[in-house]
Amino acid sequence: MKPFEFFSPATLPEAARALADYQGEARALAGGTDLLIRMKRRQWTPRAVVSLNRLAGLNEIALNGELKLGARATLNQIIRSAAIREYFPALAHTARGMAGVQVRSLATVGGNLCNAAPSADMAPPLIALNARAVIVGVDGERVVPLDEFFVGPGKSVLQPGEILQTLLVPRPKENAFASYHKLEHRAAMDIAMVGVGVSLNVERSTFNVQHCADVRIVLGAVAPTPWRAKRAEEILRGNELTAERIAEAARVAAAEAKPIDDVRSSAWYRREMVEVLTRRQLQRLAETA
Amino acid sequence: MSDFSVIGKRVPKLDALDKATGRAQYGHDLDLPGTLVGKILYANVPHARIVNIDTSRAEKVRGVKAVLTGKHSGAHKFGYGGDNTPLKGDKVRCRRDEIAAVAAMDDDAADEALELIRVEYEELPPLFSAEAALAPGAPLVHQDRADNLFLRYNYAHGDAERAFDEADEIIEQEFFLPYVTHAAMETSFALAAFDLQNRLTLWSTTQIPFLLQRDLSEALGIPGRDIRVIQPVIGGAFGRGLDVYPFEPICALLAKYSGKPVRIAFTREEEFFATAARQPAHVKMRSAAKRDGTLWAREAHALLDAGAYISWGAVTPLVMMETVASLYRVPHAKFVADVVYTNNIPTGAMRGYGNPQSTFFVETQMDILAEKLGMDPVEFRLRNANVPNSETPQGLKITSCGLRECITEVAERIGWERRAGPNSETRLANTTPPQETLQIQTRNPKIKRGIGIACTLNVGGGARIYRSDGCGATVKVDDFGRVTLISGSTEIGQGSETALAQIVAETLGVRVDDVTVINSDTSVKPWDVGTHASRTTFIAGNAAWIAANEVREKILDHAAQMLNVPANQLEMRDRQVRVRGDGKGVAFDKVVRAMHYREDGIVVSGTGWYDPPTKLVDKHTYKGNISAAYGFGAQAVEVEVDTETGQVRVLKIVAAHDVGRAINPMYVEGQIEGGAQMGVGYALTEELQVREGRVLNPTLLDYRMPTALDMPPIESVIVETADPAGPFGAKGVGEMGGNPTAAAIANAVYNAIGIRLNHLPMTGERVLRALQEKERSAAQA
Ligand SMILES: Cc1cc2nc3c(=O)[nH]c(=O)nc-3n(C[C@H](O)[C@H](O)[C@H](O)COP(=O)(O)OP(=O)(O)OC[C@H]3O[C@@H](n4cnc5c(N)ncnc54)[C@H](O)[C@@H]3O)c2cc1C
Repeated sequence: MKPFEFFSPATLPEAARALADYQGEARALAGGTDLLIRMKRRQWTPRAVVSLNRLAGLNEIALNGELKLGARATLNQIIRSAAIREYFPALAHTARGMAGVQVRSLATVGGNLCNAAPSADMAPPLIALNARAVIVGVDGERVVPLDEFFVGPGKSVLQPGEILQTLLVPRPKENAFASYHKLEHRAAMDIAMVGVGVSLNVERSTFNVQHCADVRIVLGAVAPTPWRAKRAEEILRGNELTAERIAEAARVAAAEAKPIDDVRSSAWYRREMVEVLTRRQLQRLAETA
Repeated sequence: MSDFSVIGKRVPKLDALDKATGRAQYGHDLDLPGTLVGKILYANVPHARIVNIDTSRAEKVRGVKAVLTGKHSGAHKFGYGGDNTPLKGDKVRCRRDEIAAVAAMDDDAADEALELIRVEYEELPPLFSAEAALAPGAPLVHQDRADNLFLRYNYAHGDAERAFDEADEIIEQEFFLPYVTHAAMETSFALAAFDLQNRLTLWSTTQIPFLLQRDLSEALGIPGRDIRVIQPVIGGAFGRGLDVYPFEPICALLAKYSGKPVRIAFTREEEFFATAARQPAHVKMRSAAKRDGTLWAREAHALLDAGAYISWGAVTPLVMMETVASLYRVPHAKFVADVVYTNNIPTGAMRGYGNPQSTFFVETQMDILAEKLGMDPVEFRLRNANVPNSETPQGLKITSCGLRECITEVAERIGWERRAGPNSETRLANTTPPQETLQIQTRNPKIKRGIGIACTLNVGGGARIYRSDGCGATVKVDDFGRVTLISGSTEIGQGSETALAQIVAETLGVRVDDVTVINSDTSVKPWDVGTHASRTTFIAGNAAWIAANEVREKILDHAAQMLNVPANQLEMRDRQVRVRGDGKGVAFDKVVRAMHYREDGIVVSGTGWYDPPTKLVDKHTYKGNISAAYGFGAQAVEVEVDTETGQVRVLKIVAAHDVGRAINPMYVEGQIEGGAQMGVGYALTEELQVREGRVLNPTLLDYRMPTALDMPPIESVIVETADPAGPFGAKGVGEMGGNPTAAAIANAVYNAIGIRLNHLPMTGERVLRALQEKERSAAQA
């Protein structure tokens, strides 16, 4: 590791100031499970590291009206949170499918999002659940839909000196369900070849026919950023939920993906799997509804 | 045989507490005062002439004490092929070639220095496959050779050419086997220190301490007698430590030039690209049978990519041909293997040493032949299985042999009768309870199940690869009844230490924890060729038994005088020497004291040397009895294939292995389970992805070994055949567990979806492609 300055401020403004002072050559530290690995390999050589670990409230999880999920909440906190398990089971399920238990006790949701890997597991379900990001900088606060948070591989809308503070997730409607499914080579300690997050809001008509009131389909690891399959959503939104229509939407989602070949998978397989994972989840959510 | 008091008991490992509590001292834990960190600069170009190396800036980094290049390491060649040098002076032959090395006060200074070294290359056309390397006019990897073919193995018995004309059923296929690697828990390590007499001590993760003395002597040009090798606790090796690696002499050179002790501890990335993976193979093979179910002939041609330098891995065809020629009775067999130089990473020895590869292609074809004959695969195997007290045409003298028992056991325990036949419409019923999983949704008609079986033959009584297959041992006893076994053998985590202690304890009638095992220092322990070929329990066990027996005879002799009865009426048990069938006796330690405290006293010790009655195979025919005993095994597996994702999940493994006698059933199970885990990885997820000579996935994240969550329950069945030459009847088991697993899984996948995958690993993607191709060709038909 290259030598660096280390700060551990007690307030958000101080932290933002410390980061801003280095004009893009400082990094925030949460769990360090992405950051420290890159620093040890000398892929990243920041001049300063600003720890977020003394900042009060940043790791809180609270539910009143909507979910306030602190950026520094660890994956294990998410798994254990009663509010998340009851109202946002897809988030707890996603966290449980990440890394292994030791890493999960350090890794944070904010780190996962700010690291902005195309494969970041927390992104698709949070976007599917319509989350917003509360960002704090030296000049104050702004709120960005998580859908618009990602810019490219490793890149988010965060500017030097900005910190992701909280995620705000609206409580799902009565008949809305969400899920995230990750395709990996093995059952733990693996990065997604493909991840698909889906939320589905179902209405029943008088003849007990299922209609799709709203839907979000978010693809992970198949584009430079987490990717909304908007055309696939259009096929379903407002329409009757039939097996054929679900299959059609899944096919379109696969066509919308922009996968690449890499060590984990080929683009061909990724595209095929987008279709399978999307179809299976829509079917299952429709069955549950 | 419940008569044993220690043999066959589930004694915990002697070092279990130390390891579980973190007290065990691994190489990585060692530190001598003033030790420097050594690091290596790798070429990262596949094939090039070195034009210039500029180390001037690196030398100026604060804390840097030595910067070395090819000119410091000299022209001494080393390695099995005699083709390697510690640091490369003139030419780069693969991306991992060691170009320069630094010794510094800490990691950061060493890293800084490496970054400042400037190397100028003139790139040469690279060879990235064995096929390309053999093409006419291909550039030479080693200029002093006529071509890139290092060695051709050519084995035959019977008349394979004619036999195929006489056969009723023939199957012919090609197989592609990937690079896989040991990925031992502890990465490779060396700590080198010279004393004032210029004698070198090397702390090392080697499996061959005495051969390493010789190898280092060659590489450094110093006499072997001035080299002492010490092995701290070693955290796994799996064949990695069978060769000398450049980093070991480099470490010594850094110590020499800096005048300080130097340690090199591989990073995980280095562990992946700078040790020696199992070589990839491209194999063409055919097998034939007679209508009555007689296996008739086999012919295989293997092309092995050895990489840029030849290691002991070049010898793996010897093991491959054993499986081809002798796993079953086959009257005609031919095996040709070409070991080829390329500009890829050097390959080497890994658990099974050629056997997982050959078992995969041999056992796949056994299954296909059975189907072509309309025979049940179990029945076909039983019919052609080896039997005790026979000699194979290859010259293997099979004494004990429990192959048939193994096959029958696993078939029964997996529920073979549930297996659907090849043309059956109703596939295997989902009878085992579905497991909760993210990957696969249960009760989905897209998920198919299947059962498969495969067998293995493995040397179990040493393997005469070197001119000696010997091991020495000394046993001594102190006044208080503490027994010390000094064994030449090497413990790499497999538990051999405790198994040897059990052999000694049984022989002397003491408890296992009365025995201390010393086995880690070439200046203390007697000679041994090393831990390989599943040989330690058998060979070192026999040596320990001989040494302990000498002590036993001395003690019995003396006790006979003390008790005034003939020695042959005495037994040693429960720390006593007793008259058999009589209460009369004397304490073990008392006899020892009595032997020391007298005028004509003697030291209570014994020595043993065991070199099995085997032969080096003939240089031209490759025939001969290479091992003093052979282990056998069979594994049956049940799998689930998701036909939409292509992913395969193993639901259960039943593994029966003939180990002669289990000195410690717990360790036998440990070897079987660990082997099966490597086998599952070989079958489904593990591949070191080497493209253009570069390892693309040198991390535990992307080199995917199965985790605990990926492993199914394994039912281990120990078949005991009491081998006449083994210590208390034991045969080796260290490698067998991983040999048949991939083949059994592939056969089960076929049973589930009717597709043969000849390309490992069987990733979801490969399975899905094959399924789609099958659908397409069915649609066209
Ligand atoms: C063995 C292993 C397995 C893994 N498995 C998975 C997996 O299955 N799925 C997956 O998606 N990831 C996985 N990861 C990656 C990693 O663990 C996750 O991305 C994790 O959530 C990162 O969180 P962290 O708190 O450790 O981030 P850090 O490493 O602390 O930070 C990551 C990046 O985000 C920035 N950052 C962190 N917090 C903030 C903030 N609040 N505001 C602004 N910037 C911030 C940092 O500056 C840094 O650039 C794995 C990693 C390892 C080592």
